Amino acid sequence: MSDGSVRRRFEPGTTIGDLKKYMEPFALRLGYRFNDDEEFVAEVLGAEIEILDETGDVYCPCRVRTGDPKEDIKIVCPCIPFYADEFAKLQKCWCGLFVRTDVRDGSALHGVIEAPTAGQAEVPVALLAEFPPGTLRTVRIGKREIALARIGDEFFALGNVCRHAFGPLGQGFLDGYYAICPWHGWRFDVRDGTTDHPGADVATYPTSVRDGYVFVTV
Amino acid sequence: MQVKVYALSTCPYCRMAKRYLDDGSVDYELTEVDKLEGQEKDDAIAEVRRISGGASFPVVVVGDEVIVGFNKKRIKELLDL
Repeated sequence: MSDGSVRRRFEPGTTIGDLKKYMEPFALRLGYRFNDDEEFVAEVLGAEIEILDETGDVYCPCRVRTGDPKEDIKIVCPCIPFYADEFAKLQKCWCGLFVRTDVRDGSALHGVIEAPTAGQAEVPVALLAEFPPGTLRTVRIGKREIALARIGDEFFALGNVCRHAFGPLGQGFLDGYYAICPWHGWRFDVRDGTTDHPGADVATYPTSVRDGYVFVTV
Repeated sequence: MQVKVYALSTCPYCRMAKRYLDDGSVDYELTEVDKLEGQEKDDAIAEVRRISGGASFPVVVVGDEVIVGFNKKRIKELLDL
């Protein structure tokens, strides 16, 4: 934009129904759905519409805007990608507008928010239906980038950054159980992250599949 | 025990937390951060970051304990409600 103004993603007069329709597919790809408590969802989205009218975008009603665009972009709803491991432990987003798809009764979760406990989180990273055998792709968990591979019906997750020249392994290709870096062809065994070059192995992460999602534990 | 609540006017959990304290007849000092302006707002955000390590609401301070989010159980325990 030549005048430097922000392009509005939502027209004036946007309704709760419009927001639901817009956000639902993004949330589903991230492994989340709207809370079962429809009244609560309407309350949160109603607050977002007030914020939209005031600011031009749908910022989280439970987090504060600082005026720094780099910070504020992390609280545009749905903010799940920026807090993937934290929310995976909470089983919902901070507001409780979204709950994980594997939660049975989301309304039971919305009343309480507590700071998540330390330890590992099993994070939904991809829809199984969108990840056919032979796929190698980069997925993100918060700030972390992970190369996720499917070989037959087995899934493997490894650090995304090649230790040679920092190429993105998730954008490479598969050769048997090896992920090949797209930049210079270094080979990493997806089963244990090892490579032929000493001291250049990458981390691996446990994976699991259920309810139509692929999960990575970090 | 001194109770402070840092809240946003837009946040449903902040409303729940306030309602819970009101129902228990608890006196508390309320700061609605998004309703402040200029330096006052910056100072309040800085204070919330300092005590809670983030900028997520509500932040309820009971005595010297900082509770991030609406944790009814913990508030109940601390205030004997």
